[in-house]
Parts: sequence; structure tokens; C-alpha cells
Amino acid sequence: MIPPRTVDRVALLALLGFLGLPLVAAPWLIGDLAIYFAYGLLAVALAFVWGHCGLLSLGHAVFFGIGAYAMGVLTLGMLPGLEAVRSTWLGLVLAVALAWAAAWLVGWFTFAGRGLHGAFFGIVTLALAVVFERLATNWDWLGGLNGLMNVPPVTLGLNGGGTELWEPLPLYYVMLAVLAAVVAGLTAYQRSDGGLALAAIRENEPRARALGYDTGALKRRAFALSGAAAGLAGALFVVQFGFASPTLIGFALSAEALIWVALGGRGELIAAAFGVIALRLLESQVSSRLEAWWPLVLGLIFMVVVVLLPRGVFGELLHRIARRRGR
Amino acid sequence: MHAATVFLDGANAVLILMLVALGLAIVFGLMNVINLAHGEFLMLGAYVVLAAGQAGLPFWAGVLLAPVAVGAVGLLAEEVVIRHTYSRLLDTILATWGLSMVLRQAVAILYGPGSYSVAAPDLGAVMLAGSPYPVYRLVVMAISLSAIAGTFALFFRTRFGLAARAVIANRGMASCLGIDTRRLDRWTFSVGAGLAGLAGATVSPLIAIDPQAGLGWLVPAFLAILVGGLGSIAGPLAGAAGVGGLDSLTAAVASPVWAQLVVFVAAILVIRLRPAGLLARRRRES
Repeated sequence: MIPPRTVDRVALLALLGFLGLPLVAAPWLIGDLAIYFAYGLLAVALAFVWGHCGLLSLGHAVFFGIGAYAMGVLTLGMLPGLEAVRSTWLGLVLAVALAWAAAWLVGWFTFAGRGLHGAFFGIVTLALAVVFERLATNWDWLGGLNGLMNVPPVTLGLNGGGTELWEPLPLYYVMLAVLAAVVAGLTAYQRSDGGLALAAIRENEPRARALGYDTGALKRRAFALSGAAAGLAGALFVVQFGFASPTLIGFALSAEALIWVALGGRGELIAAAFGVIALRLLESQVSSRLEAWWPLVLGLIFMVVVVLLPRGVFGELLHRIARRRGR
Repeated sequence: MHAATVFLDGANAVLILMLVALGLAIVFGLMNVINLAHGEFLMLGAYVVLAAGQAGLPFWAGVLLAPVAVGAVGLLAEEVVIRHTYSRLLDTILATWGLSMVLRQAVAILYGPGSYSVAAPDLGAVMLAGSPYPVYRLVVMAISLSAIAGTFALFFRTRFGLAARAVIANRGMASCLGIDTRRLDRWTFSVGAGLAGLAGATVSPLIAIDPQAGLGWLVPAFLAILVGGLGSIAGPLAGAAGVGGLDSLTAAVASPVWAQLVVFVAAILVIRLRPAGLLARRRRES
């Protein structure tokens, strides 16, 4: 366990760094980072259920995809009877609510009663990701294989109109603010009594139950919360990317998110966020040079980290910093 | 389509899935390793047949070579990566996923991302219940059945199998009694990989061979072993029969897309309602 103070200070330093970054960085980098922050939200959501609650979800992109599709459907005016509603704000609400509800249902289904554990839970979520990908691919209303195209950018007006947010700099700060707020909120939850109970469930569920905790309800709530965060990530991704396709909801992105979190560090939310941002930056720099070799190199890096650094690269770094400060 | 053909195609799919699920279940049950690279071992088996054909070897030489070659890859992977994650069940998922990425991409670099096909040996067709049926598919079934029987013999008729079953029952105690669990793990993983390789080799003429070819088998095989139940060798076979049978049936009645949805949802329901598997009760009585 890394002492909270170290984590908070590193997080604050990183936030200050990111706030000042646009002063020195090129505009394209700022635009890329704004999208990476959306991936960062997904990584944080996954790190919360996996690292803190011990629920390895192999299908977390399902909630990301639900958020993305919900945002797209609403802002494109595709809801039957509500064609006039095009508000980004309502889109956000719908995305988060639907993703939350879907995650709650999955949690209810898998955790009620005796419930599923560990690998069984993982494989069921993996199968769910394939099911959702199939559904999205074969549902013509959602654009089928092509997905939803031309999803409009963020509009600040109450119902669509008003200022459009598409320039990199404002998007960057909005995304940074959302990511920081979600990390802060989930961290606060982790350190609350409810969060402590979740950590107890992760360490030993029968014992937590014996102490009187309704472990099924706690896990369900945590999973729904994480699903909502992933849905928010999807909604904020699609308004920047402009395009929601079945690849956002399926196994491929779920597995990718797993790699981000494992590489960054599942034990700390900020480590997971650093992981995806660093990995994406690395990928944008080297993947064009390595071409087909990049996925091979990534797979090798991934295996090495899993075997040698179970805490993840940034998790290990935070751990070392904390140990040095403790001495 | 003729009912007999539908039935035979279904039996074909079930027997192949049994072979794939068996390898996966042995590794999971014996070593507690969740092998997400199992589909890639199958894919490698198909590529071995392809490579053997390109080298001028006959088709059947490729089929014989595939389990050996893929088993060797499994042996290497176990030694280099998998054994370092034994005490961490969920990390085996991550390590084997990394392995599967590496295998997929290595094949894509060697053979390109496009798909290949190999021709099945021309064995002609036989008339079955009034419609012609390719003999090769009957041979596929025979190979699957004999491989499954062989695996049973290995686990119930040899000293290796006795030791392996002892490790499944109680790893610590088996180790105390002088069973070299390290050696057993190594060979178990290799046998599991080899079974996948054999499955890949036998289906190679029936599928498009590309680096992604193994992915589609992974989830059905996992669902099969969870539906049937771990801990016994009959469980995964029953699960594979259920998953593969329902899939073929729905595909024949409705469409392959619906088949996958129906099978996955049904399997998830069964796993949820009977986490120990459908055969769990029978196992406890024995």
C-alpha cells in the first residue's frame, strides 16, 4: 500500500505539469493528449474495479462503447420521437446513465447470491464484450459495421447550438479537468468507509461478509460506478473522434485497456492514467517507424512487465518514491 | 440443407471444439493457468500445415508435425514466461494475452496479414442418408475422437496421468509424495498446446488461415469448459458438446450471427446459475 500523501503529491505535480504543458508543447500534441485523456478515463475506471475491488473485467469497453453510442445517437438526433433533442449535455447524461445501468445489471447478474469470482467473472465479461460487439455490428439503427459517422463536437448551447468546442486547447483543458475530477472523486471514494470495505472484499471476501458487509451490493455499486466513468469516457471520446464504431464496444478495446492498466499500474488510479498516456505517446512516436513490429514489441513489453513488475511501471515508480520518503 | 448433413457438420464442430476445450481445460485444471493464447496455438497448428505444404511435404506430414511443433512452442513459452506467473491466477490471463499478441504478430510478420488456404486431400465423398458427404470431414472426426481417447488414456492409464491427477487433487500433497510438479507443469502445458495445434492442423483446410484465426475459438472453448465444469476431464467434453451443438443447431435454424449470440448468452446463464459446471454433482458422487 502506497501512502496517500505520496500519491496525492505526485498527482498534484502531474496536474500542474499538464496545466502548464500547452505553453511549451506543439498544438498537435495537445490535440492528441485530449483524446488520450478520454482513454485515461477508461483506464482509471478499469483500475478502480480491478486494482481496488479485485474484479478483473475483461469487457470494460462495453461501457465505454455504450457511452459513445449513446452520445452519438442523441446528438445526431436519432432517438425516435426526440429528433429535435441534440444537446451535448443531455448526451452526457444519457451516456453516463446508460453505462451505469448496464454495469449495474451486469453486477447484479454476476454478484447476487453466491456470485462469480475471479477468473469466472473475467471470462463472463469477456463473453459479454463479444456479445455486445456482435449486437452493435448487426444493429442497423446503430450503423451496423460502419457505426455512427459524423458525431458532432461538443456544443455549449442547451440544445445543440451555441459555441462549438473543437479546438485542441479548450478541449485539452476540459478533458484534463474531467480526468482530474474523476480521479479525485474515485480516490476519495476509495479512502471512504465504503472504499475500505471494497478493499476488504478484494483481500478476503468471505471474511468481509462474515463481518456483516453486504459484499454483493458493495461490489455491484462499485462496478456500476466504474461503468458510469467508462461511459463518460466513451461519450467524451466520441465527441472528439466524431465516429462511433463496433470496435469501441468489443473485445479489442477491452483488451487494450487491460494492457494500459497492467502496464501503468492497477494499484493506483493515477498510475493507470499515466500508463495509457505514456503508452499512447510512445505508440504515436515509434509505431510508424517499427510498423508491423510494434504490436510484437508491445506484447513483449507487456509480458515482461506482467512477470517482473506486477505493480506496473508507474505503480512501481510510485512505490519506490514512497519507500524512499519513508526512510 | 439435408438433415444428415446438418447433423454431421454439427458433430464435426462439436468434436473440434472438444479437442480445443480439452487442451484448455487440462492447462486450467492442472496448472491453474488461464491460457488466452490457446487460440493462437490452434492458429499456429494451421500454419504448420501451410508451411509443410510450401516445403513440399504431403498434407498428412503437416498434420503429424503440427502437434509436435506447437507443443515445442508451448514448452518454450512455459519455460520463458508462464511459469513465472503460477502463483498469480489473474496474471496468467495477462501474460498469456501478451503471448498471444506476440504469436499473432510474429505470424503476421512472417506470412503477412492476409489469409491463406490449404487444400484438403482429395478423399472423395460418400453417400450418407441420400446426400454426398466429404470423406475428409469424417476423417477430421476420427482424428478428434482418437486424440480425445488418447488424452483419456494418457490421464487414466499412465503413470504421468496418475501423477497429473494427483496434482489436480492436491498439489502440495503430490509434491510431498515426490512428484516433480515442475516437470509435470512443463509437459502439461506442452500437451495442451499440442492438442490445440492438432486441432488447428485438422481444421486447416476448412478455415481461412490468417493470424486472427485462433481468436474465434477462444471464447467458445472457455465457455465450454466453464459450462461443463472444471476438475474432471469429462466436464469440458460435455460443455463442448453443449456449446458446439447449440451453435450448430441455431446456425442451421436461424443464422450464424444469431447462433453466436444465443450460445454465448445461454452459456453465461449456465455459468451463472451453476458456477461449478453442469457435471459438478456427478463428480462429487464419484
